[in-house]
Amino acid sequence: MATNSIKLLTGNSHPELASSVAQRLGIELTKIMVLQYSNQETSVTIGESVRDEDVFILQSTAPGEINDGLMELLIMINACKTASARRITAVIPNFPYARQDKKDKSRAPISAKLVANMLQTAGCNHVITMDLHASQIQGFFNVPVDNLYAEPSVLHYIRQNFDVQNAVIVSPDAGGAKRATAIADRLDLPFALIHKERTKPNEVSRMTLVGDVKEKTAILVDDMADTCGTLVKAAETLIENGAQCVVAIVTHGILSGKAIESINGSKLTKVVVTNTVPHEEKKKMCPKLDTIDISPTLAEALWRVSPESTGGTMLNFTAAVARA
Amino acid sequence: MRRVQIFSGSSNPALCDAICERLGRTPSQCALKKFSNGETSVQVGCSIRDQDVFIVQGGGAKVNDAIMETLILISACKGGSANKVTAVLPYFPYSKQSKKKSHRGAITARMLANLLTVAGVDHVITVDLHASQMKGFFSRPVDNLSAEPIFAKWIRQNVPNWREAVVVSKNPGGTKRVTSLADALKLNFALITTDKRRAIHDSALQSRRHSPAHSEHGNGGGGGGTGLIDTNSNEKSGESADALSKQALEKSPVAGPSDGHHFRRQGLSTYFQHQRSGSSDTSSRLGTQFGHRNVPHPDSHMPLLHSVSGLSNHPLKEQHNGIPEDGEGDDEEESYNDDQVSDVTASRLVQGHIVDDDYPSPSMTASMILEKDEEGSLNHMLSSIYSTTSSIVGQDSHALGNVDPDASDEDDDGQDQIERMIMLVGEVRNKTIFIVDDMIDRAGSWVAAAELAVKRCGAKKVYCIATHGLFGSGTLDEMDECKCIDKIVVTNSFPLGEEVIRKYKKLLVLDLSHLLSEVIRRNHHGETISPLYTYYWD
Repeated sequence: MATNSIKLLTGNSHPELASSVAQRLGIELTKIMVLQYSNQETSVTIGESVRDEDVFILQSTAPGEINDGLMELLIMINACKTASARRITAVIPNFPYARQDKKDKSRAPISAKLVANMLQTAGCNHVITMDLHASQIQGFFNVPVDNLYAEPSVLHYIRQNFDVQNAVIVSPDAGGAKRATAIADRLDLPFALIHKERTKPNEVSRMTLVGDVKEKTAILVDDMADTCGTLVKAAETLIENGAQCVVAIVTHGILSGKAIESINGSKLTKVVVTNTVPHEEKKKMCPKLDTIDISPTLAEALWRVSPESTGGTMLNFTAAVARA
Repeated sequence: MRRVQIFSGSSNPALCDAICERLGRTPSQCALKKFSNGETSVQVGCSIRDQDVFIVQGGGAKVNDAIMETLILISACKGGSANKVTAVLPYFPYSKQSKKKSHRGAITARMLANLLTVAGVDHVITVDLHASQMKGFFSRPVDNLSAEPIFAKWIRQNVPNWREAVVVSKNPGGTKRVTSLADALKLNFALITTDKRRAIHDSALQSRRHSPAHSEHGNGGGGGGTGLIDTNSNEKSGESADALSKQALEKSPVAGPSDGHHFRRQGLSTYFQHQRSGSSDTSSRLGTQFGHRNVPHPDSHMPLLHSVSGLSNHPLKEQHNGIPEDGEGDDEEESYNDDQVSDVTASRLVQGHIVDDDYPSPSMTASMILEKDEEGSLNHMLSSIYSTTSSIVGQDSHALGNVDPDASDEDDDGQDQIERMIMLVGEVRNKTIFIVDDMIDRAGSWVAAAELAVKRCGAKKVYCIATHGLFGSGTLDEMDECKCIDKIVVTNSFPLGEEVIRKYKKLLVLDLSHLLSEVIRRNHHGETISPLYTYYWD
C-alpha cells in the first residue's frame, strides 16, 4: 500500500543537502546502500519498499567525481524503476555536463543531450534542477523539467547583506546578461557588463567593461564558478575601473582546480555560492566563501510536485516554483 | 580498410594499438581529456562523415569514467554523421549486475545496454559476456565473441600432457563455459561447489564427514563404492533396481528422444548395479560420465545434468519415508544420499582456506548471517542434482524471491567469518587441471578451489584461466602466493601493464587483438564471423 508520502533518496555526492531538505519536509531519508565494488563498479540496494511510491532522488555532482555521481544516480533511478516505483523524480541541483550543450566545434558531442537521454533511459519521469546553464537544456528532455531559480534566495541575500543603494549588478559575460539584468530590475539597481574573449575553455584572455561602476559595490552574478578564472579577472577589471569593492554571487560553486587559491589571492572581497554543490571543506580553506542555503527552495519544489500537496505553499517562502 | 575510423578510449590504448597494427593502420585522431571539474571532454580529430566508426574501450580502473567516455564518443561520432558506430567493449562493464539479485536492486547491465543504444551505437562487439542472455538486453546486434579458442590453442601448444587434463568449474554457474572448453579439447570435466547450507546443519555435517567413505577418499583410495552406501538404501535399492530405474525415468522431467532415454537408462542401471554389488568400478562413477564424450545424447553439452536430474527424481526416498518430500529439512537429508552417485570430495572451508576436519569451528552464529555467493541464484540448478525434490521446487523458492542468498556478486564477501563446505565432483587425482571462469576479480574462490583440488583431491598442477583479469586490489598477490596455483592465464581485455606482468611470474596474458581485429575486419566487409568461434584445430 503506497503511503503517498514523499520518498527521498540520496546518493553519496551531497547527503548534507538531502538531509536538510528532508528535515524541512519533516520526513526521513529512505534507506539505501550504495557501494563500489573493488573494480569501481557501483552497486545500489534500496532498503525499503518503493512500490507504487513517488520517489525523489537527490544527487548533486561533486567536482572530480562527476561520472561516478552520474552513474550512481542512473543506477539508483533504474533500481527504483525495477522496484516498481510509480514515479521517479531526479533532483539534480547542478546538472552535469550542462556546459556541453551545443556543437561549438565540428564533431563536438552535445553531452548535455546525452545525459538527458541517459536519465530518461534509466527510467526518470521528472527532473528538478536549478539554474540550468542554458534553459534550452529543458528541451533535451521528453519528460517535464522544472528549472528552479536561485534568484529569490540571491535577492534575499543581497538585501540582507549589502547596501543596496550603492551597488551595481555586473554580469561577467554576455551569456549571463539576462540573469544579471533580472536581478538588477528586481532590486532597481544599475547594471554593467564585462565582455570576455575566451580562447580555450577555463581560460580567459581579455576583458572590457561596459557600464559605470565608479565608487560602487560591484556584485558579480553568474550561474557557475568553476576555476574562477573569469571572476578573478572580472574583479581586477572592475577595480581598475574604480569599483569600491567586488563581491561575486554564483549559483553553482564547483570551485575545482586552483579555484580556492585564485579566490584567496584575488581582489574579490567575498564569493557567495549556494549549496547545490558540496563545498564545506573548501570553506575552511577560504574565508571569503559564503553560502546561501537553497534547501528551502528544493523542499518547496518537492512538496509542490508531490501527491501530498494540495496546491498550497508549505513554507512561508518566496514562491520559487511559480516562476519555473 | 577504406572509410573506417578506429578510435581508442583512454582506458586501454595498448589494446587498440595492437588491433590497429594488425589492421595495418594507426588509431584515428581524437582528444580525450577532462575538464578541471571532472567532466569528460571528447574531440574527434578527423572527419567521420559517412564512415564506419569503431570505438575500442577496454576495461580499466575507472569504470564509470570509461563508460561516460564511450558514451560521449559514440554520441560525438553519431552527431558527426558517421555511417555506423560500433562499440568494441571486450569487457562489458557491470556485466555481473545482469540480474535482479536482491529486492530493489538495479539491473545495471541492461541499463547500460540501453544507454549505449540511446547514445547512438549501431553494433556492439564484446568478448565472453558474464551471461550470454545479456545479448537480449540490446536492441542492436551484438557479437559476443569467445576467448575459448584462444585458450584452447594455448593449452594445446603449451601444456604438457594436456590430453590427460581435467577442466574444472569453480562454481555451478560456470558449468556451461567449462563443458564447452572440455568439448573443444575433448577433456573430462569436474565441478566445484561451495555450500553454505551445510555449515548451518553442523550435526549432519559431522556424521557425514567422519563416515568411512569420506575418510577413504581423504586417504587417497580411489574406489569409494562400498563405503558410500548406507545400509538402508543399499537393501532397498538392491531389491529392484530395474523397477526403480524405470520409475525414475517416468518421473524424469526431461522427455527426451528415445536415445536420450536409452542413455539415461544405462546410466541408471549401472548406478544401481554399482550400488547393489558395492563394486569399486570407477567407470560407472559420475565423475567419469561427466566427461564421457561419446554418449549418443541429444544434448551432448550437458549429459550430466540430464542423467543426474533423472536420478534425483527417483522415488527411492519416497519409498523410504512413505511421504513425498518438499520441505527444506528433507532437502538437506536427501542431498547426502544423492552424493553416493558421484565422486565427491568435500572439505571444510574456513576463512577462505581448506582446513582439516579437526580444525576448530568459528562461531556458528556467523553462519546465520545472510551469506553472499557469486552464483547463488544458480544454486537451484545444483539442488536439482543433489535433492530428490524436483527442480521446480527449487526454482519456486527463488521465483518468490524469498531468501535469495546472492545479495551481492562479491563472491568472497563475508567469507572470512563463515565456515562453508566446499566439494569437488569428479576425478582429478594426479592430473593437471584447468579452473576456468569468465573473470578473476577477487582471489578467494580461486584459492579455495585450487587448494581443494591439490590438497584434498591430489591434482598435480593447477592453471587458473579466465578471459577478463579484473584483479581487484591484492588479488594478484594472493593468487601468486598460493602454492596450489601454478599459472594464471588471462587475456589483455584489461590493461595490466608491463611491470605487473614482469612482477608476477605465474601470470600469463594472451592477446585478444587478433580476434578483435579480425572481427572488425569481417564486420566492415560484411563477412561471417562464425569461424571465429570454432578455429580449434588451426
